[in-house]
Amino acid sequence: MDPKSDIFYIGQVLEGKINAYSYIVDRHKDNAYNLALRICGNREEAEEVAQDAFIKAYRSLKNFGKRSSFGTWLYRIVYNTAISLVRSRRKGMLTVEDFPADAVDFLSFSKNEEEAANEYRNSLINFALQKISEEDRGLVTLYYFDDLDTEEISKITGINKSGIKVRLFRARKKMAEIIMKVEKKNVFLP
Amino acid sequence: MNKQEQYEEDLLRKFINPERIEKAPVGFTPKTMARIQIETQEARLKPGFFAKNRVPLISAAIIAGFIVIAVLVPANDADSVGSVFWQYMQNIKITLPGIRDTVFKDSIIPGWMIYALAAFPLLAFLDKALFGFFHKQE
Repeated sequence: MDPKSDIFYIGQVLEGKINAYSYIVDRHKDNAYNLALRICGNREEAEEVAQDAFIKAYRSLKNFGKRSSFGTWLYRIVYNTAISLVRSRRKGMLTVEDFPADAVDFLSFSKNEEEAANEYRNSLINFALQKISEEDRGLVTLYYFDDLDTEEISKITGINKSGIKVRLFRARKKMAEIIMKVEKKNVFLP
Repeated sequence: MNKQEQYEEDLLRKFINPERIEKAPVGFTPKTMARIQIETQEARLKPGFFAKNRVPLISAAIIAGFIVIAVLVPANDADSVGSVFWQYMQNIKITLPGIRDTVFKDSIIPGWMIYALAAFPLLAFLDKALFGFFHKQE
């Protein structure tokens, strides 16, 4: 058995060595946090969701079926936890006018133009993500950021492959519309 | 994918940088592990099922005892059982005020049910008192 695999550390945790779990947390924390953040759109909530997901996974470690990888299983927990949270605190929808950025904002707190352009793109993507449903945010993150295929995404979300394709198509269309609208409003060419 | 779809796909790909993954905040792992440690300790300190549910369990045992006795003790045949309990039950008959069964004359409800009905509020009160007592202790 690979001593560095998730299965190895899970075995250690199940033997009572709780601290072995920190290796698992360390390994998956960024992906878990990233998914939570894209769905929640808020750093504090994303941290809470990611932590809750790790704790839920820890509690159910005995029931972890090795049919899928630990990462896939954890992602499923993060996805469901984040969606539940967002649903419980539905906020009013944002409008394009709410996008706070213009070129000056980004250039003022970035070292150079390239960094400003990256910040702008990231902010705009996050803004567009907030305009689609929480489930679709998860799908877009898993597909575009984590580069997972539809089969893997299906395992995580429980949505069938054709459903994922349809939803991604709609999400992509909507996000593209928003990006174009904001780009028209803010003449900032990264 | 048609031209429009391809354009949308390209646009999104241009804005999404997969390498730009939002990193978990500093101290994420220790914070998570601290929460897990606390939870593990709490789980150890948590009272077991019997300790946690002692009041309903005791009540259920008492009621079950009453039911068993009611089934086993034959009516008007104290000698065959000869238990102290049955003697006591007979005394109850004497000490409790007699109930005139004019209302229930033709009913098929057994006589002991009247006492059972009367016992309900008493048991409810007892349950409340026990609940208050044990929770005060906690």
